[in-house]
Amino acid sequence: MKPERPEVLAPPSEVSRRTALQLLAASAALAAAPGCDRKPYRRIVSMAETPEYQHPGEPLDYASTWTEGQVPYGMMIRTLDGRPVKVEGLPGHPLNRGASTAAMQAAILSLYDPGRPRFPMRGGSRVTWAEVDEQVGEALRAARSVVLITRATLGPAERSLVKRFLAACPVARHFVHETVHDGPRREAWRTAYGRDGALRPCLERAKVILSVDADFLGTDGAVLEAIAGFAANRVVGEGARGAESLSRLYVAESAMTVTGSNADHRIPLRPSASLALVEGLRAALAGDRGALDRLAAQEGLDAKVLEGLAQDLAARRGEALVLAGSHLPPAVHAAVCLLNDEIGAPGATLEWSDAAPALAVDAPEAISAALAGGVDVLLLLGVNPVYDWPGGGFEELLSGAGLSVGHGLFADETVGACALSLPSSHNLESWNDAQALAGVRSLCQPVIAPLHDARQEAESLLVWTKLLAPGDAGLAALADWHDYVRAEWLGGVLAGAADARLAWEDALRQGVVGAPERAAVPPLRRSEAEELARGPLERTEGGLELVLLPHHALFDGRFAHSGWLQEFPEPVSKLVWDNALALGPATAARLALAEGDLVEVRAEGRAVTLPVLVQPGVARGVAVATLGHGRRALGAAREGGGSNAAPLLGRGAAPRFRPEVQISCAGGSRRLVRVQKTFDMHGRPIVLHGTRADYERDPRFVRERLHAPAHAQLHGEYDYSLGHKWALAVDLGACVGCGACMIACQAENNVPVVGKEECALGREMHWLRLDRYEGGDPENPHVYQQLMACQHCDNAPCESVCPVNATAHSPEGLNEQIYNRCVGTRYCANNCPYKVRRYNFYHYVKRNLSDALQELAFNPRVTVRSRGVMEKCTFCVQRINEVKFRLKTAGTESIPDGAIRPACAQACPAGAIVFGDVNDPESKVRAAGASPLAYRVLEELNVRPAVFYLARVTNPHPDAAAAAPPAGHGGPR
Amino acid sequence: MTPESAVVAVSSLEAGPLVLGEVDFRKLEDDINRPLESFPTRRWWIAISCTGLLAALFVYAFLHTVFTGIGAWGNNNPVGWAWDITNFVFWIGIGHAGTLISAILFLLRQRWRTAIARFAEAMTVFAVICALQFPLVHTGRPWLAYWLLPLPNANGIWVNFRSPLLWDVFAVSTYGTVSFLFWYTGLLPDLATVRDRARHGLRRTIYGILSLGWQGSNRAWSHYEKAYLLFAGLSTPLVLSVHSVVSFDFATSVIPGWHATIFPPYFVAGAIFSGFAMVATLIVIMRKFFRLEHVVTEDHLDVMNRIIIATSLMVGYAYATEVFIAWYSGAAYERYVFVNRAFGHYAWAYWTMVACNVVIPQVLWIRKVRRTVLLLYPVVILVNVGMWFERFVIVVTSLHRDYLPSSWDVFSPTWVDVSLFVGSIGVFLTLMLLFARFLPAVSLAETKAILPGSQPRARQGARPGGDGHG
Repeated sequence: MKPERPEVLAPPSEVSRRTALQLLAASAALAAAPGCDRKPYRRIVSMAETPEYQHPGEPLDYASTWTEGQVPYGMMIRTLDGRPVKVEGLPGHPLNRGASTAAMQAAILSLYDPGRPRFPMRGGSRVTWAEVDEQVGEALRAARSVVLITRATLGPAERSLVKRFLAACPVARHFVHETVHDGPRREAWRTAYGRDGALRPCLERAKVILSVDADFLGTDGAVLEAIAGFAANRVVGEGARGAESLSRLYVAESAMTVTGSNADHRIPLRPSASLALVEGLRAALAGDRGALDRLAAQEGLDAKVLEGLAQDLAARRGEALVLAGSHLPPAVHAAVCLLNDEIGAPGATLEWSDAAPALAVDAPEAISAALAGGVDVLLLLGVNPVYDWPGGGFEELLSGAGLSVGHGLFADETVGACALSLPSSHNLESWNDAQALAGVRSLCQPVIAPLHDARQEAESLLVWTKLLAPGDAGLAALADWHDYVRAEWLGGVLAGAADARLAWEDALRQGVVGAPERAAVPPLRRSEAEELARGPLERTEGGLELVLLPHHALFDGRFAHSGWLQEFPEPVSKLVWDNALALGPATAARLALAEGDLVEVRAEGRAVTLPVLVQPGVARGVAVATLGHGRRALGAAREGGGSNAAPLLGRGAAPRFRPEVQISCAGGSRRLVRVQKTFDMHGRPIVLHGTRADYERDPRFVRERLHAPAHAQLHGEYDYSLGHKWALAVDLGACVGCGACMIACQAENNVPVVGKEECALGREMHWLRLDRYEGGDPENPHVYQQLMACQHCDNAPCESVCPVNATAHSPEGLNEQIYNRCVGTRYCANNCPYKVRRYNFYHYVKRNLSDALQELAFNPRVTVRSRGVMEKCTFCVQRINEVKFRLKTAGTESIPDGAIRPACAQACPAGAIVFGDVNDPESKVRAAGASPLAYRVLEELNVRPAVFYLARVTNPHPDAAAAAPPAGHGGPR
Repeated sequence: MTPESAVVAVSSLEAGPLVLGEVDFRKLEDDINRPLESFPTRRWWIAISCTGLLAALFVYAFLHTVFTGIGAWGNNNPVGWAWDITNFVFWIGIGHAGTLISAILFLLRQRWRTAIARFAEAMTVFAVICALQFPLVHTGRPWLAYWLLPLPNANGIWVNFRSPLLWDVFAVSTYGTVSFLFWYTGLLPDLATVRDRARHGLRRTIYGILSLGWQGSNRAWSHYEKAYLLFAGLSTPLVLSVHSVVSFDFATSVIPGWHATIFPPYFVAGAIFSGFAMVATLIVIMRKFFRLEHVVTEDHLDVMNRIIIATSLMVGYAYATEVFIAWYSGAAYERYVFVNRAFGHYAWAYWTMVACNVVIPQVLWIRKVRRTVLLLYPVVILVNVGMWFERFVIVVTSLHRDYLPSSWDVFSPTWVDVSLFVGSIGVFLTLMLLFARFLPAVSLAETKAILPGSQPRARQGARPGGDGHG
């Protein structure tokens, strides 16, 4: 593959590039979807006249923007001969710096999703866009009331368009609907600082971090930025004092999350006690330990850990940071603002940004009130309230509308229920812009002409605005939404550029312009904050507190159509194709519930039936459900299991926290499929770790924990010193276990989806898996995570047993799998001590293909495997060879370190995966191998893996070390 | 070797007559050829209908697997091999008794073997046929399974001689070929007898072709004897080698529970154990239905049961040694495998194996049990069950929980797994029934030679060497 180039290639003129791509896309899509009536609206230029920058078979990368969890990240899309094949993070984007999330990686799959609607529909029959516009225009002109509902994540250009629409249509009102948002937090900030904006944590500067129910490494906030910042302080530096740079993470949380899995001290705490914790810490900082002790006694917490936490916050003034989960009530956030102020976080570990990336979300009550009397026109752009309306029941509001217009990527629950069902174009087919941070703007550009007769929502809104304001000369001058975005930029961000065209093209090439503007945190308005922080929180004694979290991969359900994300093992429970009600073991035992038992969860008259998941670490008295499952309009094959938990959402200030829910047995059970069944490490030296004290006593402490005698080699040693010897290093300290690497690998290597039934049989195909082990107290386990893929052993047990030589060792140390030669005896997989080989028990690829369109999602550089063939991680050999060939034709044999990055390493936000040539004395991977923390899993077998791990060094508080993970490797639970 | 130094266990047989009752050559010929020369009985038709149905089930399940994939089975990621290889090893083991009886006992001059040798040899050939189906169908792409043969090809790709699976290909194909030739060579004089007794022209032609023109001349007998001896010599090491090589599939791996040096002798003992149990299982039925109780006597059953109990003790010793070594080695993974076998998810399979293979056969110490069909029959049936479970325990319990607990999983069979196994029994029994109907199930020529008065006796108490044929 190509290394990241700061100047991502873009065309000399956007017109010719688009048209060139249109033709290619047209041929592919027309072949795929003969029913489609595609009418490209611009000239088509034959590819016989190839643009000068395009070479057949050579990839072209385009910069774009991807919005996830209200955060716009930079995205880089690789196209091959005009067809998008892979998505990566944009290296130049300040938020994600080249890293990506699982959902971003899966964008390629949804682009070619055969379930996407292919044309606009009215009442079940096909209509043209002209007919749609005529009807909507007439309705809008005649309307006495219009309601427009959008997502919160509109870009600046879209926001300006909405304003113009509202101006052109005075009877219209705009509402924002989201279920997962940080409304409570922003409300507290507005009160505490007197301004609208956002506090941004700077984790790379934080040495003591307290998370109060904030899954900042999982789903809460700008996760990619947070992981990078956090991981930077979890890596041991050079020498014996290298551990001094380690940060310390305290996590007080109700659910078991990715963040909690990385904690040095994890405090299981029900959300209703979170305010008491923050207030107790404030009191402790002021010298009064009584409140903390009372809280510890009342909630059964480890008083030593709380004391250590208070000490640390006081001692590391200016280096400490407290974060609170976006689902907690505003009172907690206000108290956290006060606590952060008292520990000197503003200006040090917290920055202020006046530009909030997302719009404020409207209360469902306000929207209901506007819709209650019946509106003449209801425009639903990119939202799915029928699925995720808090409390449910949006259908009635919808049916009261004179004309309902649903615009979405899929004919989902809402779009399907509307009078006009309009297909939206995909992110990779759309123009847009975004404001990631103050001072930073990014562009979203199409990399392929819309595959279907779809139109992006902004384009539709622009057309309708024009219909309403025929006299607006400014609008009339803009042919389409692309021109609108361009005009916005030329009049805004790029205003003053000497050559507008060049400036615009440069912006397109870079994808992102500007640099983050650092703003001082406004002075805290203490009395207002104190007023808001007044507790106590509502709490329940008998029932359960419910927390509703976005799903790690499906988020609020908007990615539920993706097989990759449905089959992505949720990082904590390893659950696939399902969601569940997670209860701690003690809570489940108290309620006499076992895993899979169906229960009815009731909150304010709304009931949802969910299966029980017994999840160690979930706080006592707390139930946790994830949103995003239970979609019912995606086609049976892709719905998976799961139940929609959205009806349980509240309508108060903190809709995702319900202080009291009732649970009753619903009878029956549902089979929950976890792709990992055993979470106990059985005392084996697999994931090695030690505390900072262990490291300072002896940096080579991992050696004591391994039994790896010097092995003799019966046969001669192979000489790898000539040429390359590839190796991979995984820093277990940096890896937080987000799992983006798994989907990156799946996208790069055409790894098939197998479905829930096959997963239940233990046949999932992920080449790369994220092992998770839990040890210690089941109510609050210590967690050890480990990325596991083919270890490319030099003495590979798989190679010697294959009867047909279908797996062999390359002179560069790669364990190669030759699909054509494989007859499928599975002997290699049996003899693999790491069990990383994957077998095509069926022709999974063929099973999944319902439409030729899907074939476009395959990476053309990687063989698609058929039935009966073994496969596994190849270290992305196609990327190795691509770089080797390119450099060789350029006349050089030496490969600069870092020029080759496997898909996993490229996606990793923590930089935990390092790939390179150990023969290169300057390579990072060689340096990692020389680290005192380096070890190989199952070293004692003398299989000589090419993957080594750097043991995780934790940093528990010395006085509370008893509560920290025990030294060694887990130990029996 | 002098006869006196031969296996002591058979002394009771040597003392008494090998064929009971007033039998002359004529009557023996009539008795043995009766199933061939009369219209099949009602019971035979019922039996072959049942086994034929099972064989059809096998064909169906086999084709289903070929057309859909290994996904039709219960195999999964840690458990890449399950019933497929269990069945393969099981059937290969069944075949062992045949070669042991016909080759080793022949070389040891155990004349009592005559009555059961032909039957056991046929069993060997059919068991190998059944066994071969499993490695064939267990490949993900069986139409390419011929790639396991070292065939020169334009790609210049060679097979991997380091792979124990390839050794299996050589070992099992050699074993199958030699077993077949040995069996067929032994059949020649009897086929000629059938030809000579035939009254129908077609029958005479078919058996004439099959008997390769056997005339019973002195020269032919002389060559025949030499060839038979040679085959016996060739087969003897194969008895030891085949199951040793099969055990290498496991022993040379790195998987705890497989990686054990005890495997070759342990597997050979187990194979003989299961083979004799299967011979006993089938021959008890055959002698009853074809009224050959005077040829296959209670003494024969007694001797076979003595071998069963001897090999049962060997197998039990191997079980104990495995557990002891796992503990004594101090290797944590190895220890865990045996704890898991005894107390884990598949503990029921492990204890079934121990009960059937070690505990229950101990009743064979009682003479009455060894000689009473109704008493010994449940025992040998259970040994067959136990030996199947032994292979299941070795294959599946070792795989389902190996090094990294994160990939641990369990295996459950599907209807295809069950059909293939049950169906393979059907294939085997169908072949046995056809054999009993169309070929002499007891060696006529050899049995004639052990009739009283057929051997010249130079002096009392000593028998000349080279007897057994003629």
